[in-house]
Amino acid sequence: MIGVIAYPLGLAVWFSFTDAQVGESGNFIGLANYVYLLHQSTYADALRNTAVYTSLSTVIKAGLGLLMALALARRFPGRRVVYALLFLPFVFPVVIGTVAWYYLFSNVHGGINYLLLQAHLVPDSIAWLGVGPLPMASLITVNVWHGTALFGVLLLAALRSVPADVLDAAIIDGARPLRRFWEMVVPYLGSALALGTVLSVVGTFGDFAIVHLLTGGGPANETTIVSTMAFQIALRDGALGVGTAVVLSIIPVYLVVLVFVVRVAGRQ
Amino acid sequence: MSKALRQAPWLIFLALLLIFALAPFEWMLVASLKPSDEQLIRGNPWWPDSPYWTNYTDLLASHTFQLWLANTALVMISTLAISLVASLLAGYALAYLDVPYSRGIVVALFATYLLPQGVLFLPLVTMLSRLHLLNSPLALILTYPSLVIPFGTWVLWSFFRVLPRDLIDQARVEGARTRDVLLKVVGPVAAPALAAVLLFGLAIVFNDYFYAFAFVSDESAQTLVAAVGSTSVDISDSGFLFAAVTIGVAPVAVLCAFFADVYARGLGAGVID
Repeated sequence: MIGVIAYPLGLAVWFSFTDAQVGESGNFIGLANYVYLLHQSTYADALRNTAVYTSLSTVIKAGLGLLMALALARRFPGRRVVYALLFLPFVFPVVIGTVAWYYLFSNVHGGINYLLLQAHLVPDSIAWLGVGPLPMASLITVNVWHGTALFGVLLLAALRSVPADVLDAAIIDGARPLRRFWEMVVPYLGSALALGTVLSVVGTFGDFAIVHLLTGGGPANETTIVSTMAFQIALRDGALGVGTAVVLSIIPVYLVVLVFVVRVAGRQ
Repeated sequence: MSKALRQAPWLIFLALLLIFALAPFEWMLVASLKPSDEQLIRGNPWWPDSPYWTNYTDLLASHTFQLWLANTALVMISTLAISLVASLLAGYALAYLDVPYSRGIVVALFATYLLPQGVLFLPLVTMLSRLHLLNSPLALILTYPSLVIPFGTWVLWSFFRVLPRDLIDQARVEGARTRDVLLKVVGPVAAPALAAVLLFGLAIVFNDYFYAFAFVSDESAQTLVAAVGSTSVDISDSGFLFAAVTIGVAPVAVLCAFFADVYARGLGAGVID
């Protein structure tokens, strides 16, 4: 553990204070890398995009996952198979899934545009990975596709710990069913929701595959996130010091978010 | 409202969610049955006009594909074996032996799991290059366990914590050695938690792209997943590529999917309840 985590972590911190390039160790230059980043507009873009990507993906996954758990808590024929099939995107390699989505988002013969055009819902094919808010929405879609099931299975396991009479009382129609559900059932789900959120934040925050493969951070850095920016600066441009500074600079924010999530869930 | 009527919105929701979850798989299956040069150029992307089996026959004859499968199996099995043994021993030691600061160690381990992969990959690339391990499956066998063990230890520790201590004390009184206690008493009881760690590790190895892509660029040393995601598979070879996925990846994923419950219960053991 020391060899593959502690030592590289120390090395990362050291790199970020040097002008190291790939293949050569650099000289100590203090905080210069961090100061340099503060003057880069790409860095601000990457921070904003990472925040948007992580938070929206996680909220949508939690919402859909909760609905999935509630639906799967019912008895119906074929439930086990439906459960397994819904879990499939989570255990399927996200890289391969993303390559498939790349084709689905593609031009006139891409899966999605083909259906829309055949149904005459749109006059021209849509550039899902083109400009504006669509590329980010596409990235979030793939992230949600991959990760919803994690929330689903965790929440379903937690739902089983809710006493049957509480669940019945909460689900039976009456005045304000949503509010009753919120007050009676959600407290039982707190820790599962927290675990799901932590795993999702870690996964989305550290995600590289989806963004790298679908948009590569483009167009014009509109979807660059911290990990793709670090990869480009460090391995493509060879600036190891700046690259590690990019990732390390956001660790404090990231820790605050995680502690916040754990606290909120712990209180319930 | 009748029961059936109340069920209806939920079942409709599940049907929609299923379509969303499975559509890419249907597409991949169809893509594997099309000549690569037809992809994105003509025809219905959701249905093959006439199944084109040549992708599959090419695949089975391909030496590269066999190498990818072998690399994947090697990396997967080594990672899982190392991780399971290490997590079991660490979880056991932290829960039962009087390790000083055991709680702090558990928290620290969990914290390392939360560390984004992006933080470690640059120093790791440098280290592996100095050790001349880049471009070898060994690079992945050495690094993947570091992604699985912290979480695995944490899962097993939280599992052991709620296990009655008498079980082990009794075996000890009967004169069992630690090795026997681990193999015959603790191991079988911890099977569900071990299964969850196994699935977790499998998902980590299967899902990783960052390390596989950054550490191994030689086509012959790559795992199947990294090969599909990297430029070594020409995108114009899509039919071949998705045939490889259908044969090499999909069966394992489907098998894992049926153990969703094990996964959820194992992960939840320490947290839920």
